[in-house]
Amino acid sequence: MIDSPRADRAATVTIAVLAVAFALFFVLPLAGLIVRAIEEESTWSLLKEPQVRQALGLSLWTSTVTVALTVVFGTPVAYILARGRFPGRAFLDALIDLPIVLPPTVAGVALLTAFGRRGIIGEPIEAWTGYAFSFTTTAVVMAQLLVAAPFYVRAAKSGFESMDPQVERVAYTLGASRVRTFFRITVPQAWPALLAGFVLCWARSMGELGATLIFAGNLEGKTQTMPLAIISAFEGSSLGLAGAIALSLILLVVAFLVLVVFRMAGRWARWT
Amino acid sequence: MDVTLEFSARRTLGAFSYDASFTASSNEILVLYGHSGAGKSLTLQFIAGLLRPDRGRVVLRGATVFDSESRLNLPPQRRKVGYVVQELALFEHLSVAENVAFGLPRERDRAARVRELLGLLDISGFEDRRPSTLSGGQRQRVALARALAREAPLLLLDEPFSALDDALRNSMRRELLRLRTELGLTILFVTHDLREAHFLADRIAVFDGGRVLQLGAREDVFRRPASRRVAELTGVANIWEGVVTHVAPEAVTVNVKGASLRASPSVRAFVPGERVHAVVRAERVNLRRDMQAASSPRNLIPAEIVAEFAYGSSHVLQLQPEGPGPRIEIEIAARPYEVLNIASRKLFNVEIDPADVHLVPGEDRPGGAITA
Repeated sequence: MIDSPRADRAATVTIAVLAVAFALFFVLPLAGLIVRAIEEESTWSLLKEPQVRQALGLSLWTSTVTVALTVVFGTPVAYILARGRFPGRAFLDALIDLPIVLPPTVAGVALLTAFGRRGIIGEPIEAWTGYAFSFTTTAVVMAQLLVAAPFYVRAAKSGFESMDPQVERVAYTLGASRVRTFFRITVPQAWPALLAGFVLCWARSMGELGATLIFAGNLEGKTQTMPLAIISAFEGSSLGLAGAIALSLILLVVAFLVLVVFRMAGRWARWT
Repeated sequence: MDVTLEFSARRTLGAFSYDASFTASSNEILVLYGHSGAGKSLTLQFIAGLLRPDRGRVVLRGATVFDSESRLNLPPQRRKVGYVVQELALFEHLSVAENVAFGLPRERDRAARVRELLGLLDISGFEDRRPSTLSGGQRQRVALARALAREAPLLLLDEPFSALDDALRNSMRRELLRLRTELGLTILFVTHDLREAHFLADRIAVFDGGRVLQLGAREDVFRRPASRRVAELTGVANIWEGVVTHVAPEAVTVNVKGASLRASPSVRAFVPGERVHAVVRAERVNLRRDMQAASSPRNLIPAEIVAEFAYGSSHVLQLQPEGPGPRIEIEIAARPYEVLNIASRKLFNVEIDPADVHLVPGEDRPGGAITA
């Protein structure tokens, strides 16, 4: 069959219409948020509210700790999954993927059954030490870790996998220890993937809501992160709808900044 | 010539079994030749310490680096061999100078040594470039310079030139011969390219199915293959089944498809009636225009050209004997092809020196590996 120019043109128009409609669907909510935030006179004063500042501070702090822990624990795991051949590897691989597809609320319930006051580990720990995880900032980090870390591990693993293992082997024959090879050769070469995982993990933990709400609760100044503050604003806290809009705008700006920095870092990684 | 490497290893990998041993000396290129999957690259990995043999022993310049008996297994970091792989595995995020300096000890004057190595490989001035900005040949030189940095007495090269185009490959091969002589290196060179093997080798180890079928001086392996399989692997065009009819001190006579062929006596003794393979390389066969059956000790077979293939620098011809006898394939250079006027004339006397007829045992007497 030979396509006529007419059919060709019709196809072009159809694709253009679909693309524009789809783009509008993404742009309109963002525009709405910005427009409403500008219209609302109280936006700026709301940003100075202690509850908002606390939520923002807590979100930045907990997500940073989460990312740091993820990198420390997740990088070796990602490397082992990428390079190692051992029994149970496929199982471990699937296990780490699980939280990505699991609803965060389920993750929250799961955390509660393990580390909660009646949890299989949480109960004995509290009996011995008197320390309970639930409703603490630690619980916020734990919730974020469970939900967000897999994104980093996944990205780092594919980064390591895409590297030619010969490169490491040659480094060994040049006298470099495994540790030196890892930091001088492997990490720099997998850097773009690690960076992508980093950003995904950080963004996911900044936005974490379900697991935090269930496992850590919604305590102002202690476990109330930005997404939780937005929910509270809707449910009738003193901030109100205007507060929810202001908080959302902050998250939007932060997300945008992270994306820009990420893009720049990615470009920098390619050029150096 | 001092022995740089003593190697023996056995390893079973699934259905594949590896069992090989050899030695290599300084100022020598030992080519490990064979099809892919024959065990050549495995050999290099065993020596470099990247893979562990089940049993065996590796001695580098008198120092044992692996010995299954005494459970000694030095890691690759402590074996001091230069290792270059086909994909080169350059450190793309480091500059050329940093790549070359990677294996140098910290206490040394690294900058001076890097300059020296880049000079040696004719890539001075590229110190600050990234490998990705270099041409294929330059990248190759960086990989070699990096492998030479540790002053390893032994270089392991795993098909390092196979990704290059023909012209570049030729110049790199010459470069390697120069380096070998200049630095007195021992080089183990893995290739499946027959021409490359012939060009570079002082000695050749023919690998097949995890075994060394034959190891010897280049000409020995090419002209006197130990078995039919080695003859096939080293590109012998004429492998004829025959029966020994007469054994005399000066020659062995073999009947090949009704034709009598004289072969110079070989190391191996044959007896009349024994089934053998007569092996003749295509480039060792001569064509004569005079058709009279001379009573020379040489084999003369009147034959007609039945097929021709032109390769530019040479021609491959297939000839069918007028009387009984096997089909003969010969390779002839472009100039003699013209002088003999082969394009218009088809009938010739095929001349084979008995010294070029090599006999190997028939299938019913399989020859073991011969090492020299």
